[in-house]
Amino acid sequence: MKNRLEELRRARGIRQEELADALGVSRQTIGSLENGRYNPSILLAFKLARYFDMSIEDIFIYEEEVR
Amino acid sequence: MKKSVLYLLLAAAGAVLLIAGGLWLRSGVENVAAYLCIGVGAGILGHGLGGWLQERALSKDPETRRRLEIETSDERNIILSCRAKAKAYDAMVYIFGTLMLVFALMRVDVAAILLLVAGYLAVCGIGVYYRIRYDKEI
Repeated sequence: MKNRLEELRRARGIRQEELADALGVSRQTIGSLENGRYNPSILLAFKLARYFDMSIEDIFIYEEEVR
Repeated sequence: MKKSVLYLLLAAAGAVLLIAGGLWLRSGVENVAAYLCIGVGAGILGHGLGGWLQERALSKDPETRRRLEIETSDERNIILSCRAKAKAYDAMVYIFGTLMLVFALMRVDVAAILLLVAGYLAVCGIGVYYRIRYDKEI
């Protein structure tokens, strides 16, 4: 799933370590989220949304799979 | 009770077991239990001392403790660990199966093969049990 995490984080001028610390996850998790290699749990998605004061849909871009 | 004290008690129990095993062997009575005491004692002693040293180091460095707690509770790390275990389980089923076949072809004692089969079936049974249990819970 694509997301705007890196863009939002850079816009706020914070490092991956700082975001990870604020959310209580590892820096590698933030890196994997930004690369789109890892999809977060709904709890982490809510934490991210609260942190950036946005809705989950504003951060994560859901694209339906074409069959 | 503090965790470090618990680890120290564990280390002491391991040391007692290790020394008892050594004395048992020195007394001239050679049996499996003495070697078992030495093996288990050494393991418990190592685990206890390791835990105690870790607790001591972390008590002086709360930042490292916090980071360690984050690393162990991190959802991605937990998922990676579960996936790795699942892969290892899949591999184990094939490895156990092959071993049973090889042992049977080598005409190894039936008791040993049956023990291996029992272990194999127990592992598969535990897998099925948790599959059903989680199906009800989640």
